[in-house]
Parts: sequence; structure tokens; C-alpha cells
Amino acid sequence: MPKEVMRRTAADNPYLHKDFHGAMSTGIAYLHERYGEEAVRKYLRQFVEAYHAPLKEAIRRRGLAALQEYLERTYGIEGGDIEIACSEDELVLKVAACPAVTHMREHGYPVADLWVETDGTVNKQLCEGTAFAFELLEYDSETGRSVQRFYRRAS
Amino acid sequence: MISCTEFIPAYSELFKFLEAQGGKQAVVDYWEYISDNFLDNLRELVKEHGLRGCWLYWSHTLNEEAADFTMEIDDEAGEFRIVMHHCPSKGRLNELEHIEPYRDYCGHCDVLYRRVLEPLGLECIADLSECEQAKCSFLVRDAAKRGDSN
Repeated sequence: MPKEVMRRTAADNPYLHKDFHGAMSTGIAYLHERYGEEAVRKYLRQFVEAYHAPLKEAIRRRGLAALQEYLERTYGIEGGDIEIACSEDELVLKVAACPAVTHMREHGYPVADLWVETDGTVNKQLCEGTAFAFELLEYDSETGRSVQRFYRRAS
Repeated sequence: MISCTEFIPAYSELFKFLEAQGGKQAVVDYWEYISDNFLDNLRELVKEHGLRGCWLYWSHTLNEEAADFTMEIDDEAGEFRIVMHHCPSKGRLNELEHIEPYRDYCGHCDVLYRRVLEPLGLECIADLSECEQAKCSFLVRDAAKRGDSN
């Protein structure tokens, strides 16, 4: 074959590489296997404190509206089917199927046993230091279907 | 859910977490694990198509990652090259002012891909000298082809 050249700029494509979900799952499985369950949670807490510092600050300033905007944007990018009911004191997120789990199942990537912690631990840590708390009301590990509740802590 | 668009900072934080557990070797151990367990698609493409498997693999990933790159393959010369003008991963980390990227973030690429390609008879030459500016290059040579032409 003759020499071939492909030239692309960032503007040529949207940034959406869903195989990264498989890589994330591999990372969680590795931590679980080598360092134990608590290491997975500790790592996810570290990630939230580092990466989500601006979101946590927005939740402190603007309450659950900031979280709602983040969730709508994030699941929107991923093509997730969600419903959100939000008031000043409570936000309930219903996820019909986790887009990450859907992608991994469709493409044959193993879903880590502790994948649920990408909702559970991540959202609990998002609430740390804010006026809110989190509970995972329902979770189906096969599809990632879930019901998630953020609520104002009793003062 | 951690979105796939948030994976890169999550990856960088994982490297930091691992280094805090067991030093740089713990990070390299993880990179080798990913290479062995997550890159079967690259491995299979190269087994089936030779050097062109690299072209097929990175045509998919670099476009989905919205990278700014030039990729070349010369089957006759047995050379495949990626010139990354702006790496979407390191570029993204550099743009996040509130987090510090893992100090050797870019090191993972060389370890991951070399470990897949060299056992298949391909020579890898990575130039990471400008990786702090999100620029790098990766040259893969088919050792057998080069032997033929010399």
C-alpha cells in the first residue's frame, strides 16, 4: 500500500471516548485485587476532593441546583436516560441504565465488582463539607440502573 | 458515574494514589497490568494486520479522543508514526488549574504500548521531550521489514 497520512485537529471530532469506562473499570478492579476494598473507596474520595473541588464549592454556594446542572450535563454527554426531581432540600436522580455499564456490557469489558462505588463513594464524597448527604436507594449491578438521593442534612 | 470525559483526571489521580502506596514501582506495575489486560484490541489488530494494526487501532482511539495529530504509515518502509501536536489527555490536565497532573503522567503511554508491540516484533521509539507542552511523537518500526530493506 502507498504511504498514508491522517491529519486531524481537536475541532474535527467530539471528545467522547467511551472505552475509557473500560479503563476506569480495570483500574478499580486492580485496586480492589491488589490493595483491597477500602483502597478503592479511598482513591475515589481522593479523586473527588481533587477533581470536583469546584463542583463542591458550587454546591456550597448554590445548593442542589449546581449539582442538578452537573448531572444533566454529564449524563447528557453520555446519552444517559435520566429523570431528576430537585427542590432546595432534595434531589432524586433516577438512572434508567448507567451509560458506562451499558458501554462496557456492549463491548465486552468486565465491569468491576466495586463499580457501584463510582456512584456510592463519589456522591457521598461530593456531599462531604456541604449541607447535603447522599444515599443510594437502588442499584442494579447488571445495568447500573439506580435511584440516587441527595438531601439536606438535619441541622 | 464518572463520565468518560472525566477519566483523564481520574487516571492521573490513580497514578498519584498508587505512588503514595508503593512508590513509582507501584505505578509501573499498574501500567504493565493495563497493558496486559486492557490492550487486547491493539494486540489482536497487530497480530492480524501487522504494522497496519497500529493504524487501525489509533484511527479509532485518537479520533474519539479528539486529538490534534498527524498519523502516517509507510508499509513498504515498515514505519508507523504518530506526531501528537496537542495531546487531548495531557492538554486537558494542563488546563485544569485546580489539580496537579501526576508528575510522570505521559510515561504511561510508552510503557503500555511498548509492552504490547515489542513482543510482536515492532520497535518503538517515543519522544516525550515536549510532553509537558502536550506534544510527543511515537514511531513504530517493523523490524522484519527493516531487515529486508537493509
